[in-house]
Amino acid sequence: MPIDRSVVRARIENAAEYVGSLWPLRTFNATNPLLGFEDQPFHRAVQKAGQLFGGRGYPGPQVFRQAWEDGEIDADVLTRCLAEHGITERPEVLLDRMEADAPGHDTVPTDHPLDRVLTKWLAAFLDQGQAAWPMPNREDGFYAAWRTVAPYDGAIPGVDRPSDLPDTVAEAFEAVLESYPEARWEPIFVHHLTALPGWTGFVKWRSRRADTAWQAAHPITLAEYLAVRLTLADRMGAAIAPDRTEELPTNGTDQPVLPRIWLRAWEESYRTRLLDDLRQAPSAAPDADRPAGQLVFCIDTRSEVIRRHIEQQGAYQTHGYAGFFGVPMEHQPYGTEECVKSCPPIVDPKHRVVERPAEQHQAQADRYDWWAQLGRAGTTLLKTLKKNVAAVFGFVEESGGAFGAAMAARTLAPSGLSRLAQSLEERLPSPDAFCEPALDPPPAADAEVENSLPVGLSDEAKVLYAEAAFRLMGWTDTFAPIVVFTGHGSETPNNPYKASLDCGACAGNPGGPNARVLATICNENAVRDALRERGIDIPDDTVFLAGQHNTTTDEIILFVDDDDPPVAPEALDRLRRDLQSAQADAATERVRTLNTAVDEGRPAAAVHETERRAADWAETRPEWGLAGNAAFIVGPRALTRGLDLDGRCFLHSYDWATDEDGTALENIMTGPLVVGEWINTQYYFSTVDNAAYGSGSKVTHNVVGKLGVVQGNGGDLMSGLPLQSLKADDEHVYHRPLRLTALVQAPTDRIEAILDRHAPLAQLFDHEWMHLTVMDPARDDAFVHYQSGGGWHPHPSPDAPTPTAPVSAGGDPEAMDRTPTP
Amino acid sequence: MSDDTTPKDTQHSLHALKKIEIIVRGEKEPFVKDLLDESTVSGYTIHHNVTGRGEHGFHESRLLFNDRDGLVMFFAVGQQEAIQTIVDGLTPLFEKSSGVMFVSDTQVVRLDKFLQED
Repeated sequence: MPIDRSVVRARIENAAEYVGSLWPLRTFNATNPLLGFEDQPFHRAVQKAGQLFGGRGYPGPQVFRQAWEDGEIDADVLTRCLAEHGITERPEVLLDRMEADAPGHDTVPTDHPLDRVLTKWLAAFLDQGQAAWPMPNREDGFYAAWRTVAPYDGAIPGVDRPSDLPDTVAEAFEAVLESYPEARWEPIFVHHLTALPGWTGFVKWRSRRADTAWQAAHPITLAEYLAVRLTLADRMGAAIAPDRTEELPTNGTDQPVLPRIWLRAWEESYRTRLLDDLRQAPSAAPDADRPAGQLVFCIDTRSEVIRRHIEQQGAYQTHGYAGFFGVPMEHQPYGTEECVKSCPPIVDPKHRVVERPAEQHQAQADRYDWWAQLGRAGTTLLKTLKKNVAAVFGFVEESGGAFGAAMAARTLAPSGLSRLAQSLEERLPSPDAFCEPALDPPPAADAEVENSLPVGLSDEAKVLYAEAAFRLMGWTDTFAPIVVFTGHGSETPNNPYKASLDCGACAGNPGGPNARVLATICNENAVRDALRERGIDIPDDTVFLAGQHNTTTDEIILFVDDDDPPVAPEALDRLRRDLQSAQADAATERVRTLNTAVDEGRPAAAVHETERRAADWAETRPEWGLAGNAAFIVGPRALTRGLDLDGRCFLHSYDWATDEDGTALENIMTGPLVVGEWINTQYYFSTVDNAAYGSGSKVTHNVVGKLGVVQGNGGDLMSGLPLQSLKADDEHVYHRPLRLTALVQAPTDRIEAILDRHAPLAQLFDHEWMHLTVMDPARDDAFVHYQSGGGWHPHPSPDAPTPTAPVSAGGDPEAMDRTPTP
Repeated sequence: MSDDTTPKDTQHSLHALKKIEIIVRGEKEPFVKDLLDESTVSGYTIHHNVTGRGEHGFHESRLLFNDRDGLVMFFAVGQQEAIQTIVDGLTPLFEKSSGVMFVSDTQVVRLDKFLQED
């Protein structure tokens, strides 16, 4: 009996909920690997995911022991949390018990012959330009292409010709599923999708949201993956349906109680210390004078360090805003045909911004074009010589010495080689120096809508993005003569995970292009006039610049035309000097965490060490990325200015007093905060079980198909973060796996109204994927904690006994609890 | 503009068809689009940024920086069989994902616009 194709499709869609999308390396996006489980409470979700992926859901006992011995878990808090569950034994006894009960190692991936055959063909089909001899017939789709070559694969029994296999995807499903009732299809699909969650996560990403040229040229869907896998399983004698006991797990009762309590106590300890720090923060008196400069950074946790050091240089103010600067765009760099998404994973690009040479710099552009063309010709020649059967042997003989010398130089003197390359580059014009983002839409005749995206921005869009930036940051007056929008990017050679160190709000790309777009918008007179009508009065002498923070070295470059600077040269020089001083201070602070020793007596030692890491092709840890992230603070900088937050907090500027209807806060909590939660959960799960949710050691990574990495010579695509981004050494974690604490300074009733309007957001707090604490200005900035399911509990003041009575949004202690969502 | 229509031209007759309205979260938009594209309905309409309250609470869709959590509404008109195929594809989906669909009788004047050519 033919099966209903639309029903199969729906069952696959449901089954795919259990697999998280996996972005390709080039645009590595942080995401919660258990995103499909967020509709369930955290403890239940990790238990179910554990049954499907074999991954641990809570930190292991060694991690808790490290936190306990380092004093990161307050004894009082832990004792109280344990007592609430009737546990009275000493923490050390409990640590010993957890260690005795824990499995010895992280999850060990299985190596089934079916997986080996399938991953081989997936790697061949999905290759995005790495293979010299690509798989044939890929334009026909995965199933058809595989069916053509399957007879040549000796590992697949009983297939001598393609006609031995079902003709189509539909027939493949019919052949395998006809003996199973529809009720069993979904568990079968879940079983086979979760067997290789890396590859299926990538197929899910590519087939769903990604309108990539590769998908258009070589289409693949999860249905095709399953058709091949089920057909292979049938031929190879592997199980089609999982054992009943392995099917979708039910709500079990054997939850890991102790780790759950310990994690909560650790999180509460961190939160209490953070709130204590905030209470004791030096009260920042309003700046009497106009600041010399204002710099806007991404909310990224790395910005906290450099912002602190810039503020210490003098009359500077800093703000935090999502690093794509609120411009949802695709960016087309100069000299390429390729566009890159440059906005967060939960935002669809709405515009395409193309870099074009500025009129006055056309000569530089021509010179660049000449060199670029020469470089491309050289690269093509080199590839041809390396891959051509006739030429390769002679080429290796002749050029081996030169390549060997280059390799020795890169290994033995990476900094020197890098400086040499840099000085050569400085002699050549760089697109950053002669290009500007083309923002005005092209004339109607040329206004091609490519991929449905309009090229450039309309006048309305420009005003919208400029106003949104200032409203969300609560920044409607006091503009310095120089305002810098500062994106960020990392610098690391030979690193497949570079994108994981770039800006998460820019889809794993550097944020400089977005910063340039917003700066250009804000310098337009028409935009300023429109903003003035809306109550944002930017003085005529304020100039907006764009820059980029190199998070590996802490250098900040400004995208300024030095031949014709838009601000006084002496002001620019002073700004650059101060940024260099801030770089030295920030690098000194960060180098202390990098398991290295430098002579801090030498002023530039730390900067040189970070520059070596940025240039060394063998360096597995160029920087820590966002490791350590634990809190997301939404409020004015005055709340945190002067505090050392240890690079662990996302900082989003916001002023509750200028946001009466709560629109700005609503957009912060539904946008950047959700992205912060994705980043936090990725770091969390990559740390608690690196084999299941991370990507293992970089030392044994192999890049496959230019799209992902595998460990060794095959197997599943690795997802998540590598060990070197998370652990200080084999024994100790650097990233402390805590769920994100969101701290918002705003009236509680405003936040309640937002949660009422956004069920998916409320769910993240109700299900404890992150925590919410409010600093309520209506109650003298008292802290209150959101309770799962609704309601608030006051945070104990340092000199008061722990209160237990809940409070209401309006401050009435008799009323309580947000009306729970039905 | 001259009016040269005859009385016969203005006598429109109505043809009975089925209409389906579907509301899903933004992340399911590609799935529903694929389902409709592969069905025999000749076209459909999509409304983005739909706001409303459902079983799981309120969904406010007019957001600057989140295209994932918003609601999307589709509607399509076709013959009973075509609509039934769509219903068959959505029924299992709604076992796991939030969303609703409504099927109702409707009438159209230009029947040929709603019948897909083979």
